[in-house]
Amino acid sequence: MEFKEFYRSLEVDTSLADELNFNPYYLKISSGLTDPIIIEGEEYINLASNNYLGLAFDDRVKKAMVEGITKFGASMCGTPIATGYIDIYKTLEEKFSEFINVEDTIIFPSGYQANCALFPVIAKKDDLIIMDHFAHASLIHGIRSTGCKFRPFLHNNMAHLEKLLKSSNKYSNIFVVTESVFSTEGSIAPFDEIVNLCQKYKAIPVIDDSHGIGVIGKTGRGILEEKNIKDYFGIYTTSLGKALAGAGGVISGKKELIRALRYSCSGLIYSTALPPPVIQGLLKVLEILKEESVQILKKMWKYKKLISKTLKEVGFKLAEGSAPITSIIGGDTKTTVEITKALFKGKILTTPFVPPSVPNNSGKIRIIAGANLKKSSIDQALDFFKTELRKQFIK
Amino acid sequence: MDLEKKIIKIIEENLEEELKVTLKTDLRDDLNIDSLSTLMIITALEDEFSITIKDTDFAEIKLVEDIIKLLKEIHPELGEG
Repeated sequence: MEFKEFYRSLEVDTSLADELNFNPYYLKISSGLTDPIIIEGEEYINLASNNYLGLAFDDRVKKAMVEGITKFGASMCGTPIATGYIDIYKTLEEKFSEFINVEDTIIFPSGYQANCALFPVIAKKDDLIIMDHFAHASLIHGIRSTGCKFRPFLHNNMAHLEKLLKSSNKYSNIFVVTESVFSTEGSIAPFDEIVNLCQKYKAIPVIDDSHGIGVIGKTGRGILEEKNIKDYFGIYTTSLGKALAGAGGVISGKKELIRALRYSCSGLIYSTALPPPVIQGLLKVLEILKEESVQILKKMWKYKKLISKTLKEVGFKLAEGSAPITSIIGGDTKTTVEITKALFKGKILTTPFVPPSVPNNSGKIRIIAGANLKKSSIDQALDFFKTELRKQFIK
Repeated sequence: MDLEKKIIKIIEENLEEELKVTLKTDLRDDLNIDSLSTLMIITALEDEFSITIKDTDFAEIKLVEDIIKLLKEIHPELGEG
C-alpha cells in the first residue's frame, strides 16, 4: 500500500460533527474540575466527569500531592518491580486492601491496563471466560488476548449465566466477568448472586468496580460492601481515576493471585510505576473517605435524584439503574449528539455515548453530578432541562 | 421443531430486548446486534446442534435465513430430516 493510501484509510468520519458544527469530543478544558469548569474561556456546569465525590480539586488532596512531589519528585523512572516501588506504593496497596476488605492488592498504571493485563496471566487455552454482554472494552480486550473460549451472557441475566455455567463442565477453569456499575446505563450487577453461582459451579468471579468504588456501599467501599460479600474468593479490579480522583488501576484478591501478578504480569512489570504524587493523593482520598464518605455520598445522591426526577417529569426516556448515573436515551447517533449540543449551548457539559461504545441506535447522554457542584449549579441545570431542552426535544 | 424455528428461537433468546424474529429479519438493521451478540448467537447454535462455527463463517451473514443456509452448507446433516 502506498503511504498516501495507508493514511487515507485511517481517515475519521466527521460528517455528523461537520453537519452539526459541534464535536463533543476532545474539548479543550482550561481549568481543573472546579464549579464551573472553563472550556475555551467560557464557564460550564460539569455533568460529565467521573468526579462522583468531587475530590479532584479538594485542597487536602492537592496538598498531599504536592508533598508527594516534594519528597519523591516527579517520577521514579522505573517499573514497580525495579525502582518504582516506593514505600507509599506499598502503603497504598495495604490501605486499599483494607478499604475494600480483601487480602492483597497490586497497583497498575491504569484501570484499562489492569484489565488487559490480568487475563493473559490467569486464563489458559483450555479455560472458559463468561462475561456480561455490556462489560467494558478493557475486559473484552484482555479476554480476547488469551485465546481461550469466550462466551458473553445477557446483561445482568442470571438465568442465562446459569445456563452457560451448567453446560461448561469440559473446561479446566471458568471465570465469570462483570462490572459492578455499568457506566452508560447506571445499572448495578447482582454480584452477590453471581458469586453464589460461581460457588455452585466452581467458577472464579472477576469484578471491575471502576464506577462502584467510592460510590456504592453504605460507606463508599464499592461492590463488595454494597452486596455484603465477605471472604471474597474472586478477583477484583478497579480504576483509581474516577471517584477516587487519582489515576491508575488495581487488581486485588487472594495473596497467591497478587504474588503471581507481581512476578508474571507483563502489563505491570514492563510499565513505569505511577508517579509519587498520584500515590500520595490517593492515600489522602482514602483517609478522607474513612471520615466523610457518608456525608459526601448523601450530597451526591441528592443531586442524582433531583436530576433524574426532573428529566423524567420533562418527558425524557432515561436509562437508569440504582447507581448515581442518569442517562438520557438519545436513540440514533444524530439525536444523541443534537441533545448533547443543546446542553452544551446551555453551558452544561455532558457525555454522549454513540456506537461502537453502545449498540446501534442506543445512543445515550450520560449525566453525573459530582458532590463538589454547588446547589445553584444544579438548579441552573434543572431549569435548563425544564425550559430549553423540553422546548427542543419533547414534542 | 424444524431447523428454522429452532434457529429463530435461539436468536430471540439471545437478544437483550424482546423482539420478533423472522427469516427475513436483518441482524444488524432490525435487531441492532453487535459483535458480542453475534458471538452469543454463534455459541448458542454450537451448543444446540453440537457443531463448531468459525467467526469467519458468520462474517457475511445479513438475514436470519442466511444463518440457516450457512448451517446447512457447513453441516449438511442439519438439513436432513
